[in-house]
Amino acid sequence: MTPRRRASMVRRGGALLVLLAAWEGLSAAGWVDPFYAPPPTAVGQVLVTLVAGGDLWPHLGATFLAAFAGLAVGLVVGVALGFAAALAPPVADLLEPVMILLNAIPRVILAPLFVIWLGIGLASKLALATVLVAVLIFFAVYNGVREVDPRLVERLRTLGGGRRFVVQEVYVPSVTSWVFGSFKVAVGFAFTGAVVGEFVASSRGLGYLLQFAQSTYNAALTIALILVIMAVVLGLFACAERVERRLLRWRHL
Amino acid sequence: MLRVSGLAVGFGGEPILDGIDLDVAAGEFATLVGPSGSGKTSILRVITDLLEPLRGTVELDVGPRDVGFLFQDDALLPWRTVRHNVALGLRIREVSSSDADERAEHWLSLLGLAGFGDRYPAQLSGGQRKRVAIAQVLALRPRLLLMDEPFAALDAIVRTRITQELLDWVERERLTVLLVTHDLEEAISASDAVHVLGHGPRATIRSRHRVAIPRPRRVLEARGHPAFGPLLRRLWDDLAAGKLPQGPNAPARPEPRERAARAEAARS
Repeated sequence: MTPRRRASMVRRGGALLVLLAAWEGLSAAGWVDPFYAPPPTAVGQVLVTLVAGGDLWPHLGATFLAAFAGLAVGLVVGVALGFAAALAPPVADLLEPVMILLNAIPRVILAPLFVIWLGIGLASKLALATVLVAVLIFFAVYNGVREVDPRLVERLRTLGGGRRFVVQEVYVPSVTSWVFGSFKVAVGFAFTGAVVGEFVASSRGLGYLLQFAQSTYNAALTIALILVIMAVVLGLFACAERVERRLLRWRHL
Repeated sequence: MLRVSGLAVGFGGEPILDGIDLDVAAGEFATLVGPSGSGKTSILRVITDLLEPLRGTVELDVGPRDVGFLFQDDALLPWRTVRHNVALGLRIREVSSSDADERAEHWLSLLGLAGFGDRYPAQLSGGQRKRVAIAQVLALRPRLLLMDEPFAALDAIVRTRITQELLDWVERERLTVLLVTHDLEEAISASDAVHVLGHGPRATIRSRHRVAIPRPRRVLEARGHPAFGPLLRRLWDDLAAGKLPQGPNAPARPEPRERAARAEAARS
């Protein structure tokens, strides 16, 4: 890390500490109501209880399961439909209007419908995460295939390459780079789907805990849960970035 | 080696080129010159089956796998290493990947790029990318080499050097070449025969010239050969007789008497 970068990190960390200290001070002085804005120490205590007491893990597990299953299914569905639409014009005529509509609306409004159809268990969360991810990936693949550099395809043909080589050497890597461009957003979407699904109706998961905290007016628990979700998503972003850097290293030169 | 007869190429039924006849003998280095945008490239695209002609035929004495095509731009696969790009054609020909990689390395070192195998195209200069594109084509050991203004984007020094390397290889392998360019000096210094394409629409070949400079050639020395200047002028005249504007650097048009004498000389 360069000294300049380190100084910048120190400044940012310092600013955050000052903010937290001010909040704590205001709360201790009685200027803000701890019922609405619990001080950082209270939030910290709740966090420690959640983590150390082991209450968090089953809920975290449920959300992870729904998010990752939704991410995986959404990727598969998005890639399959994207390729189908890009390579077969009749499929595109069929899919494009639906996808454009789904892309235009806030897809989380489908959550109540999925609960009615699939119940309050895992299936409805998975379905919501899948829809969120699949639409995003569909457009990444659809555009990726259509934006393939025709010169590269020609080059391969003059070297004697048939369809198999064109797909393997041009289409797949080109589409991969598009999909990875959307991958971080997809991870975020998968979590949004899982948590919002749980929020609407469920018996476990981080969204369920949030819903519980809100219905009991427990601001400290709410803030603690928001922090947990932020930490999880940031951690996943970092992982996604490493995978992306590795797979797209020809780009980061 | 290559015979093109009565070729017409165009888009939407309207020919931009018509009645193109071209004969390239085995071992001959032929060049097609013409103004930019005259459709020269389409002729190469028809020969390599990338474009369907309106009329006409192409006859080749070799199979399609013996034809190498060096494009104007060096569009390499950006997501593959230099080695993989060079080995591409070999893999397509079902050479095992270790063997293909080994041969790719060999070609890279022949073209002065030893040790660059693990890089990606984005890490190379324009001249280096061009060498990779050349290695990619030559690694397949083509017998007929088609080139579409391959050096247009390079600076003069790199261009001269790469042209010389390619000429040496052509000489060694007795390759048959069809080069397409708008650069008259490049055309003369490299080739045995120059075919001049006229202006469109319905452009056709306006004249053909033999280059009386012995092979093997040194690019720079060919320019000093006594036959070079007069041929350059005639090519200029042929091209300028159409619609080309007379720029300040254009050679003066020769007097009619001088032209008649030159035509006489050309006939003999």
